[in-house]
Amino acid sequence: MTASAPVVVQLEAAGRSFGGTPALVAVDLTIRTGERLAVLGPSGAGKSTLLALLNGGLQPSHGTVSLFGEATAGLPARTRRRLQRRVGTISQGLDLIEQVRVLHNVNAGRIAEWGTARSLAALAWPRTDERAGAALESVGLDWAIHERTERLSGGERQRVAIARLLVQRPELVLADEPVASLDPTRAAEVLTLLGRVSSDTGTLVVTLHQPQLARDHCTRAIGLRAGRLVFDTPIAELGADQLDQLYARG
Amino acid sequence: MPDVRDTYRLPADSDRPEPPNLDAQRRTRPRVTGRQVTTRRLIGALVLVVPLVWALGRALPVGHDIVNRGGARLIGDLLGQALSPRLDGDFLRLVLEATGTTLAFAAIGTAGALVIGLLGGLVLSDVAWTHRPPRTVRAVRVVLRGLLVATRSIHELVWALLLVSVLGLDPLVAVLAIALPFGAQTAQVFGDTFDGLPTSALHSLRNAGATTMPAVAFALLPPASPLMLSYAFYRFECAVRSTVLLGAVGVGGLGQELVVSLSSRNWDEVWTLIAAVIIVSALVDAWSGRLRADMAVASCSEWSAGAAPEPPGGVAPRRSRSRWARWSALAIIPGLVAAWLASGVSLSGLTSSRTRALTGGLVEDLLPPKLPAGGWSVVGDAVLDTLAMAVVAMAIAVLITVVIAPWAVTTRAQGGAPGSLPARIARRMAWALARIGLLVLRSVPPTVWAVIALLALFPGILPGALALGVYTGGVLGRLVAESWESVSPVPRNALLRSGVPGALATLAAVVPASAHQLLTYTLYRFEICVRETAVVGIVGAAGLGRLLSENLNLFRFPVVSTLLIASFAVSVSSELLSRRLRRAIRA
Repeated sequence: MTASAPVVVQLEAAGRSFGGTPALVAVDLTIRTGERLAVLGPSGAGKSTLLALLNGGLQPSHGTVSLFGEATAGLPARTRRRLQRRVGTISQGLDLIEQVRVLHNVNAGRIAEWGTARSLAALAWPRTDERAGAALESVGLDWAIHERTERLSGGERQRVAIARLLVQRPELVLADEPVASLDPTRAAEVLTLLGRVSSDTGTLVVTLHQPQLARDHCTRAIGLRAGRLVFDTPIAELGADQLDQLYARG
Repeated sequence: MPDVRDTYRLPADSDRPEPPNLDAQRRTRPRVTGRQVTTRRLIGALVLVVPLVWALGRALPVGHDIVNRGGARLIGDLLGQALSPRLDGDFLRLVLEATGTTLAFAAIGTAGALVIGLLGGLVLSDVAWTHRPPRTVRAVRVVLRGLLVATRSIHELVWALLLVSVLGLDPLVAVLAIALPFGAQTAQVFGDTFDGLPTSALHSLRNAGATTMPAVAFALLPPASPLMLSYAFYRFECAVRSTVLLGAVGVGGLGQELVVSLSSRNWDEVWTLIAAVIIVSALVDAWSGRLRADMAVASCSEWSAGAAPEPPGGVAPRRSRSRWARWSALAIIPGLVAAWLASGVSLSGLTSSRTRALTGGLVEDLLPPKLPAGGWSVVGDAVLDTLAMAVVAMAIAVLITVVIAPWAVTTRAQGGAPGSLPARIARRMAWALARIGLLVLRSVPPTVWAVIALLALFPGILPGALALGVYTGGVLGRLVAESWESVSPVPRNALLRSGVPGALATLAAVVPASAHQLLTYTLYRFEICVRETAVVGIVGAAGLGRLLSENLNLFRFPVVSTLLIASFAVSVSSELLSRRLRRAIRA
């Protein structure tokens, strides 16, 4: 991480309330290209809200959020979609279309890029192109390209979602608790893959519950508690006292 | 569906931490290739298109007049009276009485079906028996399974026709015609329900020395009761519709009045009766729908797909304490007593010497089966007509579904529709219209649709298919709309988040899942549609049903039994075919 790398996301005193209840309060945050940022914090701390702001799908109610140098508030839909194409989002794998072949789910990552006519053609007659094949191969699922998605196991589905990210070629990857339901081995595997997705030109923001995984896979960690940023530190300096304070009761 | 291999991994495997090795996870299961997918799609398209083309060719023979111009005027008369239904006191009293009769028949018929279903279900289920059932039970089971399949493969209306020739126009005919086929279906569902329940409580009672019946009563019935109660009300909903249908054979109730008014062309009465049928049907639907929603056990579509839903995670379904469910349960017994008193059903008809003699006579008359005049080709033609009618009817039903059902999906799960207030109101209006439209289509019995179609069209496959298609469209549209409510909005939202425009996101994420459900329910309804061709046949459309009712009217019983066997064969083979195809599209 270098201080001179281009800024991907900038939050200035950004906050968000839902019906008067603040979910995120006055967060200042700058994320630069190449960073792998772990977002830590207890349940309900505002991690998901932060990710939704970073994606541009949710607008801040206070302050500003800039994505690739453009403020996300008040953008015309077309411009916002253009920004969102450069962001890849992954959750616990629940956002896959279960009833279709794996290939269709992978190709879903390119719909925004392809536009209407080509997407419809791909929908009617799924295309195996190099990018989809290569993406599935790199997550170890090349054998499953024509399988029905619902027949895969939980871990395999997670990797289909990662393959979809790979073909989207996002500059920023947002992962909302991607390993919450996985065993340690699989969790490490998924984070390694996510790191690989973002390693070339990209940036990774991942919410996690296990600090050890953050130490193993990230370059920087922030802590959220009750909607406020409580620490922001390079991963090497993440200390036990910070974590104790973050997860303390009451 | 989670992979069992993940769930039941050997401990030795999971205890040993391994570095990520993706190659190790390439399972040994056969790979699906792109060519296989293409082939499967082509075969699928052929399976859908070829029968449709064939059936349309058969339903629309070249060079024949289809439209009966004289009759088309009658439709005009019928429509002309739509705004002036007959509403005088005398007639309304008659309608009210007929409504009571219909509800009473349906209630007693459902109760009978539940008794048959409960007993049959216990015999069929494995959990009710310690270890392996005794040999006698196993033998009984084989016979019972066969009997149940045969019983439900004969349509209610055909049952009624047969029963009328033994019992005469006794209210018992309506009750038995409902109870027998519905009971057979219920036994199947209850058997599956029992087998799907967790058995640990039952085992522990057994191990503590309880004998079978008390153990079952204590450990099996309570967890199954919400499922059974909601199924009972779903069945009642179906029974009301079927009882109206049975009116065609003259056993009383709304259906009979409807047929009488239609055939004497008293259009103003027809409209009043249709309105009554729709209102009754809507109220019963709403009641039973509310109950199922409260009990949170099953949607109508899950029941209809023919299998009891598995309790999620093998946990017994939550037993709802809703006031609605409790009052409904409390109302059952007084409701049945009232129904019994009101309908004048008496079991004495079953045991009278006249009935016994007639039954014996009927059995003698039915055997041995004989071919109708004209031989096999007549039967073969009727079978083909039946199939063509069902295929065309399904095509019409799918068309109706695709046009109406998208508007009928309730989107309350997504926190209300977005958009401005007028847009939301418009959306809400479209929803209500679509729901009412589907309700009207399925509440008016197919016999009535057929009689109307036969006013304007010459008898044949087409009017029957039209009538069945319109009716099935109402049923299918509702099932599919309900199942579409469960299509997850998450994948679409994920696409929206990654910058995909709304319409495209719907096409990519919602349409495939929806099409899949539409196809499954279409195949499932096809098998029912084949059975229901008997209904429109009886009022004169075409196919096996028409041949059956003609021969029954002429007391040619040996021919009737041949036709029953043919109907059975057609019904069972279409059921097997539909199951096979449904399994194939899941693969």
